[in-house]
Amino acid sequence: MARFVGRRLLLSLITIWLLVTIVFFISNVLPNDVGRTILGPFAPQESVDALNARLGTDRPIIVQYVDTLIGVVTLDFGDSYVNDDPVLPQLAAAIGRSTKLAGLALLLTIPIAIIAGLFAARRRDRVSDRAVVLLGVTSSSIPEFVTGTVLVVVVGVQLKLLPVLATPPPNADIPTQVRYLLMPAMAMAIVYFGYIARMTRAGTIEVLQSDYTRTATMKGLTTSQVMRRHVLRNALIPTVAVIAVQVGYLFGGIIAVEKIFNYNGMGQTMLFAAQRKDIPMLTAGVIVIGIVYMLATLAADMTIAWMNPRIRLDADR
Amino acid sequence: MDVTITPQPVAPVAGPAVTERSQARRETFRQLVRRPAFIIGNIVIIGWIITAILGQRITPYDPFNQFFAGHLPPSPEHLMGTDRLGRDVLSRVMVGSRDVLIIAPLAALLGVVAGTLLGLVMGYYRGTVDDVLSRIVEAFLALPVVLVALLTLVVLGTSPLVVVCVVGILFTPIVARTVRSAVLSERQLDYVTAAKLRGESGPFILSREIFPNVLGPTVVEMTVRFGYAIFTVATLSFLGVGLQPPSPDWGLSVAEEYNNMISGAWWPTMFPALAIASAVVAVNLIADSLQSVLSE
Amino acid sequence: MDFPKLDKVRRSAAPLQLDVVDAYVAGRLSRREFIQRGAIVGLSMGSIGMVIAACGGTTTSPSASGAAATSGASSGASSAPSAAGSPVSGGIIRIAGQRPVKVDPVTMEDLGGYGITSQSFEFLCTATNKDLVSIGPGLALEWAPNADGTVWTFKLRQGVKWHDGTAFTADDVVATMERLVTAGNSGLKGVLGPGGAVATDANTVTFTLLGANGNFPYLVSVFNAQSLITPKAYVAGTTFDKVPAGTGAWKLKTYNQQTGATFERNPDWWGGTTPLDGLEFIFFDATGPMVTAYQGQQVDAIIQFDVLSGKSLLDDANFNLISAPAALHRQIWMRTDTGAFADKKVRQALALTFDRPALIQTLFQGKAQLGNDNPIWEGYPYYDSTVPQRTRDIPKAKALLAEANASSLTATLHAGQLLEIPDLATLLKSQAAEAGITLNVAVESLNTFYGAQWCPKQVKPEDPPCFGAAELGIVDYGHRGTPDVYLNAALKSKGIWNSSQYGSTAFDTAFSDFQKAVGVDAQKAACNKMETILLDDTPIGLPYFYNYLAGSSKAFSGLYASGLGQMFFSAVSKTA
Repeated sequence: MARFVGRRLLLSLITIWLLVTIVFFISNVLPNDVGRTILGPFAPQESVDALNARLGTDRPIIVQYVDTLIGVVTLDFGDSYVNDDPVLPQLAAAIGRSTKLAGLALLLTIPIAIIAGLFAARRRDRVSDRAVVLLGVTSSSIPEFVTGTVLVVVVGVQLKLLPVLATPPPNADIPTQVRYLLMPAMAMAIVYFGYIARMTRAGTIEVLQSDYTRTATMKGLTTSQVMRRHVLRNALIPTVAVIAVQVGYLFGGIIAVEKIFNYNGMGQTMLFAAQRKDIPMLTAGVIVIGIVYMLATLAADMTIAWMNPRIRLDADR
Repeated sequence: MDVTITPQPVAPVAGPAVTERSQARRETFRQLVRRPAFIIGNIVIIGWIITAILGQRITPYDPFNQFFAGHLPPSPEHLMGTDRLGRDVLSRVMVGSRDVLIIAPLAALLGVVAGTLLGLVMGYYRGTVDDVLSRIVEAFLALPVVLVALLTLVVLGTSPLVVVCVVGILFTPIVARTVRSAVLSERQLDYVTAAKLRGESGPFILSREIFPNVLGPTVVEMTVRFGYAIFTVATLSFLGVGLQPPSPDWGLSVAEEYNNMISGAWWPTMFPALAIASAVVAVNLIADSLQSVLSE
Repeated sequence: MDFPKLDKVRRSAAPLQLDVVDAYVAGRLSRREFIQRGAIVGLSMGSIGMVIAACGGTTTSPSASGAAATSGASSGASSAPSAAGSPVSGGIIRIAGQRPVKVDPVTMEDLGGYGITSQSFEFLCTATNKDLVSIGPGLALEWAPNADGTVWTFKLRQGVKWHDGTAFTADDVVATMERLVTAGNSGLKGVLGPGGAVATDANTVTFTLLGANGNFPYLVSVFNAQSLITPKAYVAGTTFDKVPAGTGAWKLKTYNQQTGATFERNPDWWGGTTPLDGLEFIFFDATGPMVTAYQGQQVDAIIQFDVLSGKSLLDDANFNLISAPAALHRQIWMRTDTGAFADKKVRQALALTFDRPALIQTLFQGKAQLGNDNPIWEGYPYYDSTVPQRTRDIPKAKALLAEANASSLTATLHAGQLLEIPDLATLLKSQAAEAGITLNVAVESLNTFYGAQWCPKQVKPEDPPCFGAAELGIVDYGHRGTPDVYLNAALKSKGIWNSSQYGSTAFDTAFSDFQKAVGVDAQKAACNKMETILLDDTPIGLPYFYNYLAGSSKAFSGLYASGLGQMFFSAVSKTA
């Protein structure tokens, strides 16, 4: 197990290096004037040149690249180009906010989706199964910005049931925070319900058809005992895999939702960093996302390995 | 969404395999056509395709240059009402299908072609090539599609070509991984060993023997990617880095009008939104049917 | 005409102030223009009122004098009793404002920063609740120019204290001015030099300018946003959130660029006790969510919004709308040196296709004023209204195009993705089509637009600024208290924002006359010349000046704004 984890961590370092390089490349592929972008079109040229000199963006690209790499290694992500404050604390705060939102979304969706998936698999090809599949396909096809806007207008403004700004007042207690985050979380949860429910259903069906399940039933175990002891563990494997991979898509959906609800999480932060060419913020943000993704996949793989000894011993992925 | 499917290969004998294969395909097709999900999905998508092709020839009004009163509610003259500038929403939604149905499939195609090639190479040759490429693929997978697309479009400017390339490139790793898994299972089978013993070259084996057998998951993946492409392109347009005004693109229309929902003008937002949803649902229904049939 | 009253003012007036009074008495200035102009040259409100009364009029109530021309039910601002007089109502107001990029008083350049810093810091001359052009006494009680407008003397308010308790003196003003001059502040550049500001005593500052300037008080007013007065010991580069300071009505309590800022009442403010206990700012990155937040009752006031996202507020009975006519506008530049628009007949033809009233109605619901293809807004006191307004004339446009051999003109209209500009481009395209002009609309995001289309960096250092600009495009301009910036940068030869590469010696001369002019008549005459030249040459199309929109729920009354991101709450009270 330790070797498995160790090898994965080593490979992750290579991946992080690649991530940084990709982001750096994209940000700098066109000659751009960071100073001009920050100060805007109406600022005098001398101010722009001075700013570029101060930020170091007038140095050759290679020098800037090496600098970025060194920064990553020493965990010094520098100061934001836009407001001169260190990047990490701002990012940490933004990540905290997004995690709360994403966490709530997953909390809403995972239990319901898994139950729905199991339910559908048990009643395969019956009307209820078809209904769940259809619901899953439909809900995962509606982009978050669509559900978000509908929720804001109908639930937030017309019915006034929930607040339309997702940012709770400072030091609010947990129930209040949940209340504020409920609408954006729902917008995201609806989309992921579909994927997770269908994955669970597919995995369960496959397991239900497998030999060892049939053996268990023939041995005399009741259906619920079979479900509990054998099916659940193995059916959830693809589901766990999907949830981990969803981290990436979660992020994409979050950008639109945060825009609609004016929630200053990772999505908004990255969006503005991209628009303002705030390279330190972008680099740090992408690395963080990459690390989160890799930790999630690592955790998922370890969970799967723990659930199914056969996979654990097979180091060939 | 990553679905790994291991289809059962057809009996590995040279001559009769060809007819057996096409027979199997015809049987699969017949099964597909019997599924209501497949039929409905196709009707909707083909409907949009026809609308996209015919374009302005069948719109009730000019979607670009004809201005009526702003924000008229749906009525017999304007089935979907008018937008803030007074343009007929129905006409704009119809013409908006064109952008989506050109950009999304191209992006999906690019991703699938590149991904399949990559997956075939990685899965068959293994070794250092596979290790190195896998690391690169993993790095790309860790990047959220929307964020990278956003960043690239902000830097390079938002032209349809850039959108296609960026989305396509970002889909490649996912497709590659799926194809690679499929190839990994295939390459251990007897018919591949037989071909190798016969002295066939790598590329030949890949294209003639392995590829047709991974075609199943590849086709499903292509359809799924198509659905994702529509979704992603709409999101990018909503965020302002996709197609630009005065394009009647659906995602863009939602971005332009959603603030007006509060004052009661729901139609310029809801109809393009429904259009997006209908297209993605249709494609996903097709993908779902394909997956069910091919995994039996 | 009550001569004794009039003479009383005349006798104590400086020559420039006398000039303004005489212009009003002779009818060359309207009452509104006189109030604005008078304040600029340093006439006190009392004197102004006396002159108006002497001529048989009454100073009208603030909201009426603020509204000018077209816009229907606009209120220049809500009527504002001074803080000292009104009862303490208590309570906090929640304000939706733009997220500040920087809150360094000397170097900030964004509306969000202006809005936050102006709560705690103050200017020599403040905004008033009348309109977006008038200035009134702030930290300076009165000011007066010398005979030719080269030296201005400002008398400061006494008994003012900084938030830390130390006294405010002329040394603070001098130190601020030196800091600004060193930093190259764009408002003071070329007007005030190092050592130009001198403290002649603890409460008087004398400004010796580099040249005559009839509008100097503007440059130390709220309309030169960085000119807020900072303490003598202030270190340039210190941002406001790190070192809160100020003389104003509100003390900074918390600041978080990600979420918002809070202020509490300054009990020692010279203006008295503010009715409200404090302010809570919530930062946004777009106006749509601001409007949604208001509708969801999570904010009470919005500093600025646009028609596109705030339509629902325009008709909302519970929303106190501030729709102040302003100089906010769009310029449609056309390259005058090369390309399809080099011939001025072609430029005039395009301008003749604009259906200005239709644009105003569709894009702003009527809340805008006609523009006449020059940036001298009718709200400026020296605007000359005798120049005829250009209206839509398709046959004439076609004729001009034929004369210029451009009957089937095709061009690309570039636009940035900002507020209503893409819609404006779409409408212009269809309006121009009626005269046979084919415009292809190309919208791109702002960060690429400015650098690629509007004002690309010069390739060769000897090229004039913006040399590589596109041949046709739309660019945005914010509100200013005087048109100097628009004229200097966009239209003067080799101006720093001169995308149309317009270079007319006649215009340059007229502009220079305008800058030097300190008398009302001279300013108006110079404006007349500039307006006429620009209408004929048409280097830019300017179809409208749109209103500055802001407001609050009816539960609060008494707020007003400057149009430059700054909103003032010292007289706001909660009524509900």
